[in-house]
Amino acid sequence: MFDRLTPAARAAVAAGDDEAALRGDRRVGTDHLLLGLLHDREIADLVGVDVETARSRLRALDETALAALGITSPDLGGAVAISRRSARQPTSGFRAVLPLAYTLAANERARRVTPRHLLLALLTRDEPDPAATLLAALEVRPADVRARAART
Amino acid sequence: MSIQTDTMADDLSAQLRTTDPAVGLRAVGALRRLAEQVEAQQVALAREQGWSWEQIGDALGVARQSVHAKYGK
Repeated sequence: MFDRLTPAARAAVAAGDDEAALRGDRRVGTDHLLLGLLHDREIADLVGVDVETARSRLRALDETALAALGITSPDLGGAVAISRRSARQPTSGFRAVLPLAYTLAANERARRVTPRHLLLALLTRDEPDPAATLLAALEVRPADVRARAART
Repeated sequence: MSIQTDTMADDLSAQLRTTDPAVGLRAVGALRRLAEQVEAQQVALAREQGWSWEQIGDALGVARQSVHAKYGK
């Protein structure tokens, strides 16, 4: 599934898996992939957001949703990494992003999928996709990112 | 009078917020994530205090093997 990815793209996917573990999610979703991509400085510059900001915005979305049910989020005093990497499967949204990234790479006659291709594929997602929701919450406009990415 | 109106408005806004599935479904996910984080923290604490995997499994209502596979080194 992850063949034809550059080492940097593989690193972003692995970082996404770690982000899912940190949050305690059972599956790796597009939101985790976005966080994973933001570990890459070039990608963070294109998006205009760093990984810490995105992570805390995602936490804030959770807290807001819980508050709507009248539940106050406890302070656990720092995240605990949850293991069991091999059992974590990608969501259907994540799986849909990969072939699109392959197509984008092929259109540019690139032999391998770079983090930039993964990001551009993620930007095509519409809400309620988790990555699209997170980008909207961060007030990041996909069109702006696409324009910046086209110049590089 | 105005207090009553405020309360009604609060109730209505609370209802509106929870009838949005985007919010409600995220809350379900957030509860699950919270449970996972608390579980990881408490399992680590129990291990530090000398609990066996079997005791932890029994406390969580799951098999010893599944706790060990998830948190064992």
